[in-house]
Amino acid sequence: MVDTSIIAGGWLAAGLTIFIFSFLYRDNPFFKIAEHLYLGAGMGWLFQVSVNSVWIPKIWEPVSKGELLVIIPSVMGLTLLTQFIPKLSWMSRYGFTFMMGYGSGLAIPAGLSTDFMSQIAGTIKPFSLLASLSAMDIFNALLVAGGAICVLFYFFFSVEHKGHLKKVSNVGIYFLMVYFGAAFGNTVMARFSLLYGRFDDLFTFSGSNYFYATQVVLACMVLYFLLHGFFSGKKEDAAGEEAA
Amino acid sequence: MKDTLQKFFKIDRRWIFLLLTVTLFVPIVKPIGLPNKSISQATTRVYQNIEKLPAGSFVLLSLDYDPSTRPELHPMAMALVRHAFAKNLRVGVVTYIAGSTGLIEELFARVGKEYNKTYGADYVILPYQPNILAVMTQMASDLFGIYTSDRNGAPIGGMPVLKGVKSYKDMSLIVCVTGTAILDYWVAYVGDKYSVPVAGGVTAISQPGYGPYLQTNQLKGLIGGMKGAAEYESLIKQPGKGTSGIDALNLAHLLVLILILTSNIILLFVKYF
Amino acid sequence: MKLIKKHIPLAIVFVTGVLTLVSYYVPHKVSVDYIETMNKWENIVVAFAFLLGLISLFFSHYHKIKRKGDGWGYSLFVFIGFLAMIIPAYTSGGKQMVEGVLTPLGWAYKYIYTALSGTMFAVLAFYIVSTAYRSFRIKSPQAFVLFVAAFILILGKVPLGQIIWDSALGWTGQNAAGVIEWIMSVPAVAGKRGIMIGISIGAIVTSLKIIFGIEKQYMGKD
Repeated sequence: MVDTSIIAGGWLAAGLTIFIFSFLYRDNPFFKIAEHLYLGAGMGWLFQVSVNSVWIPKIWEPVSKGELLVIIPSVMGLTLLTQFIPKLSWMSRYGFTFMMGYGSGLAIPAGLSTDFMSQIAGTIKPFSLLASLSAMDIFNALLVAGGAICVLFYFFFSVEHKGHLKKVSNVGIYFLMVYFGAAFGNTVMARFSLLYGRFDDLFTFSGSNYFYATQVVLACMVLYFLLHGFFSGKKEDAAGEEAA
Repeated sequence: MKDTLQKFFKIDRRWIFLLLTVTLFVPIVKPIGLPNKSISQATTRVYQNIEKLPAGSFVLLSLDYDPSTRPELHPMAMALVRHAFAKNLRVGVVTYIAGSTGLIEELFARVGKEYNKTYGADYVILPYQPNILAVMTQMASDLFGIYTSDRNGAPIGGMPVLKGVKSYKDMSLIVCVTGTAILDYWVAYVGDKYSVPVAGGVTAISQPGYGPYLQTNQLKGLIGGMKGAAEYESLIKQPGKGTSGIDALNLAHLLVLILILTSNIILLFVKYF
Repeated sequence: MKLIKKHIPLAIVFVTGVLTLVSYYVPHKVSVDYIETMNKWENIVVAFAFLLGLISLFFSHYHKIKRKGDGWGYSLFVFIGFLAMIIPAYTSGGKQMVEGVLTPLGWAYKYIYTALSGTMFAVLAFYIVSTAYRSFRIKSPQAFVLFVAAFILILGKVPLGQIIWDSALGWTGQNAAGVIEWIMSVPAVAGKRGIMIGISIGAIVTSLKIIFGIEKQYMGKD
């Protein structure tokens, strides 16, 4: 019994995965179905988690026990939905301002200490330990400090960049480029890792214990494209290739 | 000659898609056998921070990733939990991403059994909460103010795993594994303010952005992407999906470099010859 | 009316903002009580925010079906996908696993949600490769620096790349992992730190503007 549900799951997962990948060849109804299912399933998941983890234990249960205070934030939350009714949309301001005030109040001290002061301190700190640093460490500390200052110059000073200022901000660009280059290199790895994950699952579903789900679905998709190409003629073919 | 080159440059991109599919799929079917070789300092720091904790210490894991980043983050979360269980640490799990709940279930169903750990005594999975800032701020004074029951509705008050754990003061380490900016929140709103050690595991995309926090020690260590997962698996000597993943990525990485170089050489050629 | 529509909301943002800010620096019991109440309330308010997305998604697809607009049949699948999660959630009482066995909810997550969500993002890998081939142009010194950093990372992060590096550049005495470590902890830190400090100043200014009611775009038009 359990086995059947796992095999059925494997077929479904392999099917949905290949449907989405099929877009890489050409837009098609199977992709569109999977895409729309994704939108619905994503929302459905969020909805059920919210109901089971928040609405029932945090609102419904307290209220049914007579703890009525939670009604206040619930009503504030519900005011957000008046966004959809133009005449009443001003009510949503109560919910939004409540969230924005709290968020901003927390963000100011945290931003000031973590991303501003600590970063400046972290840039300066190595220089207080100069005696114990190697020549390479000192060079690195200078590079970090100098680089960060140049980047800030590039971003900040609203004066027109001329002469020395222009040179400083130009150096800043190079540091940014190293950062973006590193980020790009890592992005390649990240994207491939995600693809590896899906391929790895497809490989699992291609086994005899799943009755070759991957191969069968893939063959069906290929057949679909062949038949579709055959019946719809060359005209659409050209259009399809352009789209891809 | 020029025309042929230009044609080659403007090749239908579906050929490139096919090439990538082959270079990534073949090593999955037939592994190359080149596992991870180097271990970065940032990953080692996470390992050491867990390694030095005495048995029974409480570690909070914030597992905030959904299936979209699963291949990178699930192996590292799994390696972290294995390490914590091997060290007999108590583990509490929180999440602020609704989509991660299923992955957390899967992880603990598997690793919990491997180490013969008992739910409620050795680990607890707390329910998803929508407002991360509110929960983080609340846990500074009393986590039971927000969390009264676990993700299946069982009351957590009497669970041995949470004995003596009320706020950040009682936690030895927080590790956040995420594909979002939630790690930044842990650093800014918790680590810096309440002086709790915070370490992280992130996707390769966001990894370079955490350099400044690592340098200032605001972040006690960082595992980055599939490579980081493979590194951590090597450190705990339990190869898993991170290790096999790195093996599979070998050829695809080279493919990208070859493609970038080829296209630039073609363009140079077309321009100057 | 202006009082209810505008002034009270602005007063709310000001009062909650200032009190929350002050509570950060004042560890008094009153401020702890205040922030604890706020934490619980905020957690509930935000639990409704996602309904904005849900309702607008449903509206647009409902209208499409009603008007029989282009591809309306696909819109049905939005609702099917939604029900594919909601119905098992109801029958399983929100539990994904009971005694180590997947419930229908756990099954739906593992085989439907994981496949869809994972693959949607995995597709991007193909586009980054074709973009790398077609648009990665080394035309300026800046682009060259970007290329070198990217090249080292792409090569040096995989074992095969490290082997190639060692055989080609082993004579320099530097291995790929060491160079990557240096890039990530020195020049990339400088670049990111500049951005970080810049953004933090912007964020603090914006937060202050919100609290003092100068920035109120989020409130919509009158």
